[in-house]
Amino acid sequence: MTDSSFDGMREQFGIGFRLYFRNKMGMFYGYLFPAIFLLAFRVLYRYEPIPMARHMGQLLTVTILGGTCLGMPTTMVSERERGVWRRYRLTPASMSSLVTSAVVVRYFIAITAGLLQLALALCIGMPLPKHPLELWLAFTFVAFAFLGLGLVIAAMADNVPTVQALGQCIFLPMLIIGGVAVPLESLPDWAQHVSAFFPGRYAVACLQACINGIGTGASGFDFLALVLIGLAGFVSGAWMFRWDAQQRFASRGKGWLTVVIASWVAVGVMAEVRGGISSSPPAQPRPARIAAPASVPLMAAPAAAPAETAKSESAPVVPAPHGTDQDALHQSKTWQEVTIAEINHNVDFRKLPPDGDVVTPIARPGLDAPPEMQEQLNALAVALQDWPPGTVEDPVQRVRNLMYVAAVPDVLEMEILESYVPLLVFDRVKQDIPKEDLIRILFWIAAHPSDGDDSAARQVEDLGLGKAPADLADVRERVTLYSLKLLGRLIGKIQEK
Amino acid sequence: MPAKVIVRDLRKHYGGVHAADGVSFEVQDGEIFGLLGPNGAGKTTSVECVVGLREPDTGYIEVSGIDARQRPGDVKQKIGAALQTTSLQDKITPREALRVFGAFYRNRAEPQALLERFSLAEKADAPFDTLSGGQRQRLALALAFVNNPELIFLDEPTTGLDPLSRRDLHGEIARMKQGGHTVMLTTHNIEEAERLCDRIAIIDHGRIVASGAPHELIALSAAAPTVFLATTQPLDSGLLNRLPGVHDVTSEGPGYRFSTAHVTRTLAELMKLLEARGIEIGELRVQKATLEDVLIELTREGRE
Repeated sequence: MTDSSFDGMREQFGIGFRLYFRNKMGMFYGYLFPAIFLLAFRVLYRYEPIPMARHMGQLLTVTILGGTCLGMPTTMVSERERGVWRRYRLTPASMSSLVTSAVVVRYFIAITAGLLQLALALCIGMPLPKHPLELWLAFTFVAFAFLGLGLVIAAMADNVPTVQALGQCIFLPMLIIGGVAVPLESLPDWAQHVSAFFPGRYAVACLQACINGIGTGASGFDFLALVLIGLAGFVSGAWMFRWDAQQRFASRGKGWLTVVIASWVAVGVMAEVRGGISSSPPAQPRPARIAAPASVPLMAAPAAAPAETAKSESAPVVPAPHGTDQDALHQSKTWQEVTIAEINHNVDFRKLPPDGDVVTPIARPGLDAPPEMQEQLNALAVALQDWPPGTVEDPVQRVRNLMYVAAVPDVLEMEILESYVPLLVFDRVKQDIPKEDLIRILFWIAAHPSDGDDSAARQVEDLGLGKAPADLADVRERVTLYSLKLLGRLIGKIQEK
Repeated sequence: MPAKVIVRDLRKHYGGVHAADGVSFEVQDGEIFGLLGPNGAGKTTSVECVVGLREPDTGYIEVSGIDARQRPGDVKQKIGAALQTTSLQDKITPREALRVFGAFYRNRAEPQALLERFSLAEKADAPFDTLSGGQRQRLALALAFVNNPELIFLDEPTTGLDPLSRRDLHGEIARMKQGGHTVMLTTHNIEEAERLCDRIAIIDHGRIVASGAPHELIALSAAAPTVFLATTQPLDSGLLNRLPGVHDVTSEGPGYRFSTAHVTRTLAELMKLLEARGIEIGELRVQKATLEDVLIELTREGRE
């Protein structure tokens, strides 16, 4: 590279940066928008114990995507349309030096926007990324992939509205089913397979691994995918590059577009061959509130939520319409009278939501919680020992109170955490109540969902698990479901996988 | 001295349209050379091929002794160009633009000197989108000088400018020549070409149809000189028709206009006629063929 081309590239880089900061819309989309996005995520996941730690990969990916696949091509196409690039072509500047400077400008803008997002996240309680240097490396690879894509969009689009349309065609699917805005574990199985063909998934994975995971060590394939997609984008974008608005995309060889698409397909196929596309059991859409009578596999229809201090022992248990065994149909008057036959007759454990469901999830035994949650779970296990509602004299109320500890995070949708807390609660009650009694008590609680004192639900907050909602109907329902899930485990009706 | 620009058999077509159809010309060192022609004649295409904005289909282009198609980067180091319209980023200032564009060249002019030379000092730090049309055009010219070029290309440099700005620009182009620069400009403005250019090539339908100094081109014209005569007393047009060599007598305002193949003989006979009849001359003008006549003749031939 000659001195003049280096000087030209340096000046071009400098002016690109300065002009960006003079553009109010650019500033809005580049910096304010990511900040708003971060705050929106914070509100959405407000109950998570470590704010934003599990979502920074997603947020940084959105920031990079916006700057590179929308911001950069918009600027490039707008300047081309107006003849700015044509003027540059009169100079000895090469296409590669101009494109390089434009790309480098965007990279640095993305870096600063990412740093701003990280700083904001730190301000609201996120700990420092575990692997900051590797995070920078991962950020660079992600930016490389998306900048290549941005160049392709810039080459394809004849005008700015086309950039917006093309950008959204890539942006939105990637956000929704590509594992960027919606976490992969929340997507149905088919969408997780589709996401394997989008670069967003690999971007989130490698960024997230550097924030709260083990760093880049396990992200080899993610990096490979990003490099392949980025390389295809850069090479194709360079070949399809147009100085002049009068040059049409059609005349520049659409074959290079095939190269780009082929790179995405190749990455997806490789991912499928490697396996492990589905990150967790497929989840069902989370209902705003499940219909309690339909979902509880008891034949008991819970009454409307009572006042918080209700202590009625007379909630109705509807006899099984198909039952014939009069003994089994017998409704125990006290929990001590509950029999296995009564349980077997009244409960269909197959109707319980699966443990991998969004309602009453339970983590698989032996599956370690994410490292950033381990400490909190350990502390919770200790705190549960002396939690006052968990030590009340009445064993039914004691178990009910402890079940609230599992139910509240579930209702609050405290992702990941909500599936590990029930295991601690189960251990706690099993340790406290003899098995035979616990079986009877759990059935009793499920059969009398509206009974007992629910003030303990308000004290779950003291354990750092979030504040129970004002209306406790959902919480009571989850108590019933968790009680049945533990009951099923105790009597061998539910096999832990 | 070798020509500064040599173009041989330049061809460029867009679909079925031959924008340049075997264009050949030379520009000598230190001259102002004009490419004159009607809109769509192929002027801009030819110049854009020479400056490297377009790749010709065939043809040979040499600039300052360098094969422009083989070494376009080297040619660009030596030339400056101002396009018909120059657009820059909205928020870039003239000072920044001169600095950024200058950085691409080995030989760089001082931005402040260019700002002063092109009367942009007051607007040096104003965003491009706040500049007037004339200021933008001056900035375009200043940008053409960021590398102290040997050769300047100006494509329709005064299009869209008000008369005052146009006059200023003409002065600047004349100063370019005085400064030792070779200038090649395209224009469809005949007056501009005649006033500024040492030599002119007339282009039509992608072909050079004539070239030479303005007076040489005018001499090529088949158009006869015209005479305008106004008298203090009425004059019968039939008398004029009987004068030697006179034809096409038409009434024009207070007098007559006619063409003659023999100006001197016609005027001598005319004087005798008027003196004999005691008629006084109010106004008498002899007008030879103009460049416009030449252009119309040559380009009309192409259309016919």
